[in-house]
Amino acid sequence: MKPFAYTAPSSVDAVVEALRVAQPGTKILAGGTTLYDLMKLGVEAPSAVIDVHRLPELTGISVTDSELVLGAGVRMADVSDHPVIRPSYTALAESIWRAASQQLRNMATLGGNLLQRTRCGYFRDADMPCNKRNPGSGCAAMEGVDRPHALLGASSLCSATYAGDFAIALLAFDAVVDVVGPRGERSIPLAELHVEPGEDPRREHVLDVDELIVRIRVPLTEAGRGSTYLKIRDRESYAFALASAAVGLVIDGAGIVTESRIALGGVATRPWRAVEAEQSLLGQPLTAAAARRAGEIAFAAARPGRTNEFRIELGIRTVADAVRTAGERAVR
Amino acid sequence: MRVDAYDKVTGKALYGADRVLPGMAFAALALAKIGRGRVSGVDTSAALAVPGVLLVETKFDLASPGFLMGGGFGFQSLQPMTDDHIAYRGQPIAIVVAETPVAATEAAEAITAEYEEEPFALHLDSEGATTLVQEEAIPLPFLADIKVGDADAVIDSCAVRIEETFEHPPQHAVPMELNGGVVWWQDDRLIVHEGTQNANAVRFGLAQQLGIDAELIEVHSPYVGGGFGQKNSLLVHIGPLAVVSRRLGRPVKLVLARTQTFHNGSFRPATKHRIRLGADATGRILAAVHEVDQQTSRHDLFIAGHTEVTSRLYGFSAFRGRQRLVQTDVQTPGYMRAPFESPSMFAFEQAVDELAHTVGRDPVQLRLDNDTETDPVTGLPFSSRHVGDCLRRGAELFGWSGRNPEPGSMRAEDGSLVGWGVAIGNYPGSIVAANATLTASADGRVTVAVDGHEMGQGIRSTVALLVARDLGIPVADVTVQVGDTTVGTQHLTAGSWGTATALPAVHSGLQELRKHLNVADTGDVDVASAVADAGHAVQVSVGSLGPGQTADALAQTNTGHLAISGPVFPGFVTFSWIAHFVEVHVEPTTCRIRVPRVVSVADCGRVASPVTAASQVRGGVIWGIGAALREESMVDDRVGGFLNTTLEEYPVMVNADVHRIDVDFIDKPDYQFNPVGVKGLGEVSMVGAAAAVANAVHHATGRRHHRLPIRIEHVL
Ligand SMILES: Cc1cc2nc3c(=O)[nH]c(=O)nc-3n(C[C@H](O)[C@H](O)[C@H](O)COP(=O)(O)OP(=O)(O)OC[C@H]3O[C@@H](n4cnc5c(N)ncnc54)[C@H](O)[C@@H]3O)c2cc1C
Ligand code: SF4
Repeated sequence: MKPFAYTAPSSVDAVVEALRVAQPGTKILAGGTTLYDLMKLGVEAPSAVIDVHRLPELTGISVTDSELVLGAGVRMADVSDHPVIRPSYTALAESIWRAASQQLRNMATLGGNLLQRTRCGYFRDADMPCNKRNPGSGCAAMEGVDRPHALLGASSLCSATYAGDFAIALLAFDAVVDVVGPRGERSIPLAELHVEPGEDPRREHVLDVDELIVRIRVPLTEAGRGSTYLKIRDRESYAFALASAAVGLVIDGAGIVTESRIALGGVATRPWRAVEAEQSLLGQPLTAAAARRAGEIAFAAARPGRTNEFRIELGIRTVADAVRTAGERAVR
Repeated sequence: MRVDAYDKVTGKALYGADRVLPGMAFAALALAKIGRGRVSGVDTSAALAVPGVLLVETKFDLASPGFLMGGGFGFQSLQPMTDDHIAYRGQPIAIVVAETPVAATEAAEAITAEYEEEPFALHLDSEGATTLVQEEAIPLPFLADIKVGDADAVIDSCAVRIEETFEHPPQHAVPMELNGGVVWWQDDRLIVHEGTQNANAVRFGLAQQLGIDAELIEVHSPYVGGGFGQKNSLLVHIGPLAVVSRRLGRPVKLVLARTQTFHNGSFRPATKHRIRLGADATGRILAAVHEVDQQTSRHDLFIAGHTEVTSRLYGFSAFRGRQRLVQTDVQTPGYMRAPFESPSMFAFEQAVDELAHTVGRDPVQLRLDNDTETDPVTGLPFSSRHVGDCLRRGAELFGWSGRNPEPGSMRAEDGSLVGWGVAIGNYPGSIVAANATLTASADGRVTVAVDGHEMGQGIRSTVALLVARDLGIPVADVTVQVGDTTVGTQHLTAGSWGTATALPAVHSGLQELRKHLNVADTGDVDVASAVADAGHAVQVSVGSLGPGQTADALAQTNTGHLAISGPVFPGFVTFSWIAHFVEVHVEPTTCRIRVPRVVSVADCGRVASPVTAASQVRGGVIWGIGAALREESMVDDRVGGFLNTTLEEYPVMVNADVHRIDVDFIDKPDYQFNPVGVKGLGEVSMVGAAAAVANAVHHATGRRHHRLPIRIEHVL
């Protein structure tokens, strides 16, 4: 690990000022469960970190008439157990509850969670070729162990999966992140926060280096109650998804689907909204066949690597199961 | 309760690397980044420039410790950093010592090297892997292929034949406690604190490496935070640590990073098993063949002991084993819990299950029908073999009679396919030569120093319980010292002989102590008044031997070597036995495999300590489930070494994967084996568990899996 400068400003204003004058290579530090980890592996080497982990302004969970507001510094553990989030945004609570481990959830923040980096093993091994870590060096995963790699949204340079869970559920609920920086505030729909690797796998999101996420806003929706986050993985805790799906549904008194939200996790290079799959459910009664078809549509564009083709069928079934569970909750 | 439970949960118990000493410096290793070859130059300049760095060393004048199984003391014979040869990716090429662990780590990472690369082989079937027939490569009687009758001819003439090939991947033990320790010198005396299962080998191995008298070395390993075989001998970092500590005149601590432990300690080697069974139409097995290819390193022949257990499983009239060793470019593999027995049983007990399926017999009944009282290999009786009782009791507790034999016929409420599988397992009974010293003091307390190591199995509790019961004193008045070469020899604790070795030694120590205290041979003792009558603290030392062992065995252990007896003893043969009953659920759509309940019934002789015994079995079963469904050390043929070297990527079981595990014991003492009547338990617990899971998956899905782990992609 390389030496780095450390500051912990006491207000958001002070953080913005620190970001304004920051030397190149400065990074925001929250729980450190991604950043410190990658620094120890020699993958990240910031010249300085600005610690926002204990900023009171970034904490707090509140519910207004129209939205749920989550501070960027809220700990993951506080979301999974939250008395309002659990019943009214079940998929959000479940996506956190099924992520990482209790110890990590106690430490990690929501802002950091959104910007966590891929778990591609070759990215995390500083000795391996990796276009994301070392542009132009090649992609070791292409001819290597690619079981966990992305089926959707990959480019010829990189197929690293976006591994987080929370962003998948947020995406399904049309969340927005508010950011602040030396050029002022702006709001970014979650759907636009992350980008595909394309020609530049280094770039994973649209934030500028001097921008701080301050909060996440989730519009209130009836689909929150009829929602689920289904995560399929190699063990039942402390593992990333082989495939996951956040699904929220509203079903009217006649049993017809009137609102449908589907996002995929663990299978794409960014949080992946399956818009056509959503639409396929609308205006119809929810049947097992419709659920399966939604899954098939969601994965229609999937391109497997060498050893991960099974995850297409697994993903289809994951979507189908999640749709059915959400449907059961929606009519309860 | 365990006698050291309080110390452990409050952090009072000091593990090897917990020791903090004044003036202590910190070391870190730099590792080779090629799969095999030579290192032509190491650039340490950047490392030396890191503030706080005290020393960087790339070359040591250290003798080989010798390979543990070749009469030496090391987990492998190869001592890195003694020449330019790189045998495997992850081999240390330099050690750094600095004022802080951070500086040491940073400096180690700054070290670069130039290499001449050579092609390498990682798999059993890789080009360049060299296959040797074990009995030819190591012509020792106990390694000869087991042959009883003409098994092939018998099988060829049988009405029912089963032929299957199974593959078991390499696996790593990943104990919670990382490899590492603290080393320092007091004048010419070398003191080592290291979590090890074999303080004896560390001591004598270091003496050999450094060319000093073992009398000048003391090794302390009071607690091991999980060894599972990876800490069964001298590891490659300790010799260099002793050298740099002496040079600096300071204590030096080294704790390997988790990723480094995957290459600087042993692992369970990859194996391939070909099983042939010949039976009559009722499923009576007349003959069996078990051929094994097992991975080893280029520099050591890690011996294969697979057929030792499978040849004893049933009453075969003919058996043929063949064990071959395949040299690949890895560190030397070793004895990970139930090292041969778990993979062997995964293969053999699936073949037996297939036989039951083929002949249409209930798999429990078929196993009972093939039971025997006589060892097929030697013709000697088993000192105890209650595997039939294990099967009967397990079937009862599990509710086996409710099983529909048809694969794919049972369903859970949520629509999951339900599978019920059974498998048995065995593990050789061994006893090693051991020393025990018992001291009765004026305050009525008894201190017992006995050969053994506390690795989480609870040896202190087991010994304390024996002493307390024998003398009729409170457990709290017994102090147990283990893992310390200043109070005993500390022979390797492994092979499930820990209890069966320590208890008989303490048992004979107690008899001796009673004599010297001048009290009756049995009955409660007022220790304080007996000591008062004697006028001084009373100390006795005894050496104890396995059945048929001679005093040479004690001389062996007293010089750091292994002194193992069994499982064949004069006039009898000893194995521990177990039966596992497993229920799996395969989810209807996403096909996750879950194990909601297990019943395991063990025959380990007398149960010395019911609480620790039951948790041994649970731990073994959990690991067996992990082996069946999750664990695999992955390699990338382009780079060498192992790939998934973190707890995140190497999927050990987590609590959420563990459900109900009911454990029961036959609890019949085996007094022929030793006067306390105990047999080994730690490893037999795991043997057959993976097989029972695989058999249950077959029952659920109708599909037989020939390769572990069985993951979602294999059942989807
Ligand atoms: C072993 C392991 C298992 C895990 N398993 C899972 C899992 O199953 N599912 C899952 O979703 N996650 C998992 N995680 C990831 C974990 O959830 C993230 O590491 C964590 O949420 C990151 O939060 P943090 O506060 O620690 O972020 P940090 O590590 O402090 O920061 C992460 C990144 O976000 C940036 N950042 C942090 N806060 C802000 C902010 N307010 N504004 C702008 N940028 C910011 C940092 O600069 C950095 O680049 C796992 C992690 C580990 C180590
Ligand atoms: S998939 Fe992407 S992150 Fe992984 S090695 Fe290739 S370029 Fe690097």
